Amino acid sequence: MRVLESRRLLTLILFAAFAWSLSGVDWLGPMVHTGGPQSLLRFIQALFPPELSPAFLKLTLAASFQTLAYSVAAITVAVLVAVPMGLLASGVAARSARTGLPAAVAARFLLGAIRSVHELVWAVLFVYALGLSSATAILALALPYAGILGRIYADLLNDVPEEPLRALRASGASPFQVFLFGRLPMAFPDMLSYSFYRFECAIRSAAILGFVGIPGLGYQIQLSLHDILFDQVWTLLVALVFLVVAVDLWSTRVRRDLVS
Amino acid sequence: MTGVPGITRSGQAARRPVGFARWSMYGFLALVVLSWGYIFGWTDSGVGDLLSADSWSDSGRFLRQLAGQESDAVPAFARADRWLETAKLAYDTLVMSVLAIGLTGLAAFPTFVFGARNVSSGELGGAPSKSGVALFYAVRLTFAVTRAVPELVWAMIIVFFLSPGVVPGAVALALHNYGVIGKLSSEVVENLDPGPARALRASGAGNLQMLLYGVLPQALPSFLTYLLYRWEVIIRTTVVVGFVAAGGLGREFRLSISLFHYTDVALIIAWYLILVVAVDLASAGLRRLVSGD
Repeated sequence: MRVLESRRLLTLILFAAFAWSLSGVDWLGPMVHTGGPQSLLRFIQALFPPELSPAFLKLTLAASFQTLAYSVAAITVAVLVAVPMGLLASGVAARSARTGLPAAVAARFLLGAIRSVHELVWAVLFVYALGLSSATAILALALPYAGILGRIYADLLNDVPEEPLRALRASGASPFQVFLFGRLPMAFPDMLSYSFYRFECAIRSAAILGFVGIPGLGYQIQLSLHDILFDQVWTLLVALVFLVVAVDLWSTRVRRDLVS
Repeated sequence: MTGVPGITRSGQAARRPVGFARWSMYGFLALVVLSWGYIFGWTDSGVGDLLSADSWSDSGRFLRQLAGQESDAVPAFARADRWLETAKLAYDTLVMSVLAIGLTGLAAFPTFVFGARNVSSGELGGAPSKSGVALFYAVRLTFAVTRAVPELVWAMIIVFFLSPGVVPGAVALALHNYGVIGKLSSEVVENLDPGPARALRASGAGNLQMLLYGVLPQALPSFLTYLLYRWEVIIRTTVVVGFVAAGGLGREFRLSISLFHYTDVALIIAWYLILVVAVDLASAGLRRLVSGD
């Protein structure tokens, strides 16, 4: 009964919050552009058909590859940062609780700080601090992803069942051996599968780096929107959907095989 | 489920998936080599610059500018009037995030059940029908398209139709998150225990009754939990969407940094972190209500 009551309370809170957000909107100002409906109609008409000239398809293919390349590069950096940070944050690598706990708290705080800032905010800050280059863009993507991956790695390493570890300890394994032959093999499939899921998210994030001038699908979409060429926008959107869905299907398949 | 465990040659079945995961690893490593090859070979990689002493002093100067140490003016984050002025923007940003998650919930709630394979196949409700299967593919395609396009790109498109402000930002956020929540919730329905729905059907319940009493009570807690989780993601993204939709803190962030008002940038980042932490805490508290303790 208490569950039902608290869920009713939650429903009430959610509806009240939504009503509050509606009241926070300035409804008196113009909501739709003059000519907004016509633009919407033109945008939908541009899908039939989208831009399909060979030259533009070639450009779309190149942009898709660029977006893919930036996401892969960012994910590799993120994993390389997240593994040691995750180990520290889980506290399992420490020799004793006295040294491990402060290190774990500090690592978790650092991971939380870098993932609370959105990758595009990182990118804008990096562009102003260091200038625009592939390295700064990849770093901007990799930081929040390292924050998320490191935290998940730490949780997964902490959450493995205790019994096999106890059995290893009882048979005389050192803490390092317990980690290498007990904890790591048990957590590894989940760690790998979550990393693959994040790879899919990284493609979307790499696309929006076009906003700071990094080449790829997002950059081309911005250029086409700027010239109000909606048929080109559709071609690029379809390419982005294909890329994300392909990686989604791939990562779903890998996850199903690893975690079962 | 075919065959009886112990009689089938389980070794064969176990080897194939491991093979796929392993080949995926090799495939991914090839992608890594190709990607880094492209970045070093064909772009201005800037890795050398990143390690040079100049960049370190540049970023040091940038940090000092953010902290207000490079100018004699009182930094924006040390002035109460600037905090009050930007409080209105932080309020708008919070409104945008709640509006976005509300629109997401309203749009996803009536549709996610039809994106579940076991509903369209008739396993959880009614007889299988061609229209049910067509609906399943239409709903799943909508989820895939809305999800694949990032919030920022939705916002860039939407500002062609809607006037800048909180609403286009919220709509852009809601479109992307509709696909995310829809897909996740449909998968929850696909993994449901079919027992209650079957028992209802056996006792003569209609399709709507099976949906209301056999499916939704099991799926709704996860639906709400996902919504609250996504709220945490949305509050981080409102700033980014505000860059183009011109609502809340995002617009001010973009303006301040283009005008080199660095201490204002620091003030906005401070507000942003306050919002992120506050929403994380609120979401965690509300999620506790879902489980009832």
